[in-house]
Amino acid sequence: MTTGRRDRILIVDDEAGSDIMNSVRRKLDGEGFETVVVQPQSKFAAGHDFESEALIAIETVRPSAVLLDVRFGDHPDDQFKGLGILRKIVEKSADLPVLMFTQYSRGPHRDAAVAGSLRFSSSVDFIDKLASPDEVVLRLRRLIGKTPVLIQIGEQFLIDGEAGIAYAVEGDRRDPIRSIQGMKFSILLELASAWYRSPGELVPFWKLERFSEGEDSRASLRVRVREIKDALGEASGRKFGPDDLIVNVRNRGYVLVVPR
Amino acid sequence: MNGLSRRSMAALIAGLVVSLAGLVLMLASPFAGSVVSENLWLVEPLAVAGAAGIAAGLATAVAVLTLGQRSRAAAESTKMRQQWSQLTQHYFDVFGHDMGRPIRRILGKEREVRARLAEAQKKVEPAIQELLDEIEQQAPSFRLMVSNIQVLVQLEDQAARAQVAPVAPSQIVRNVVDRYVGIGRDRGVNISWWSEPAEFGLEYSDAAALDHIVTNLVDNAIRFATSQVEVRLTRNPSHFFVRVWDDGRGIPEHYLAHIFDRGWTPEVAGRQERTSSGLGLYIARTLALRSRGELTVESVATAGPGHHTAFTLTLPRANPGDGIGNR
Repeated sequence: MTTGRRDRILIVDDEAGSDIMNSVRRKLDGEGFETVVVQPQSKFAAGHDFESEALIAIETVRPSAVLLDVRFGDHPDDQFKGLGILRKIVEKSADLPVLMFTQYSRGPHRDAAVAGSLRFSSSVDFIDKLASPDEVVLRLRRLIGKTPVLIQIGEQFLIDGEAGIAYAVEGDRRDPIRSIQGMKFSILLELASAWYRSPGELVPFWKLERFSEGEDSRASLRVRVREIKDALGEASGRKFGPDDLIVNVRNRGYVLVVPR
Repeated sequence: MNGLSRRSMAALIAGLVVSLAGLVLMLASPFAGSVVSENLWLVEPLAVAGAAGIAAGLATAVAVLTLGQRSRAAAESTKMRQQWSQLTQHYFDVFGHDMGRPIRRILGKEREVRARLAEAQKKVEPAIQELLDEIEQQAPSFRLMVSNIQVLVQLEDQAARAQVAPVAPSQIVRNVVDRYVGIGRDRGVNISWWSEPAEFGLEYSDAAALDHIVTNLVDNAIRFATSQVEVRLTRNPSHFFVRVWDDGRGIPEHYLAHIFDRGWTPEVAGRQERTSSGLGLYIARTLALRSRGELTVESVATAGPGHHTAFTLTLPRANPGDGIGNR
């Protein structure tokens, strides 16, 4: 996924060098985010070292969001240190989105933290450390709340919302798909934006019908969707059937499905 | 008398006063009462009233002491149960965290292998790809299993109630779908969700319970779906509904009565290797009932087209004053 400007994600985790964190960082890098890891100087840093370094980094790095662990070692004071850091971040920068990345995604400590964060009206969410990197990226995207100018769908297509052009992508090559313009492009952009926020989210007919004309706007929409699929298929050398790419879900609306 | 409430203490004192008054009346009856017979002064009305007073007073005192002892024992037992429950829940909270360590390491290594294979741009053998996919796909099942155990422990606490607070059901549904959309793609199953109205807003509900129920339903649906899973969020003036539909082969009618039983899986009936713990739907239904809702199932198991299964979770749009933060 490509974003217009690289959003910085500040990672505060005492196991930031672990394989699981590396996989998340790799995914974030691949999705166009820039990751900055908080690394205290001391080799044997405790929770409070991470806390002070994190608060300084928020001032200096100016991240778009923070990915914050809860547990910083086995010392009883540090078992829920992340919740203390969260409180300080929220007090200092209430608008800064924080995604708590923790195995404590349930239980009373989480509930207490959620209640605390709600008090400050901040953007705080919790995600399990066993979550896939895709899930982490999705949550961060929603917390940050911006839809980028460029949305890449799978490896084959790129949508440039500003220029109003859809591209077929092959390696470093981008070929504009000229037959997708005007209302057809608006339909595709609406579907791609919904997919970017939440890959399974259906776009109801009423949202898409404003981009279709004629007496029977539903029928007109169906034709346009068919034309979009044909154009994308032609550009990528594939044939998209009814259950591919743009799927009609039981006469409720359409959902974009990334080609396998 | 230690530990008696003020009201019980007052009742005890009143009982003793009545007994004492009765005794005074009995002793005074030969002098103050009307004499019925020299030898039978005890049947004299004043003496009878005195005796009744003694009996009533003593009975009251005994009842107060006995009930007090019982309620003290019950309070002690409740306190112990709560402490035990908190201790157990804390234990399983830590257990849930620590159980994640080995699986995080395994997942981390698996993703590292994938990254290196991608970097080397080598063609991966299908068997290796399958193995890596299997490890990745088992992660949400493992998460859910640990979470199910934690919830099961909470459900054992009879005093526990739903934690009702303002929640965004659409956000919860969206998060659950996010978790499964990649797995669905790998298995050839599309998951879609929508809400009616599109801007669903907030409801008063138990967020953790709602997340857990929907997770179990989607996890279940994706295992049995042929190609589609749909999650729909709707509401009426009194309730909101989450319907999880899959186009799987359906559940035979004779199984439907058992699917919410603890430990029941289709494999139990077929005497095959179990692919799940059989706890998910049991927990989902128990949580739904605890939240004053219900979980129902409707299924069509035909050989031809049209087979499907749909679970519908119904939860009340509770009064904000109902049980917020109580436990």
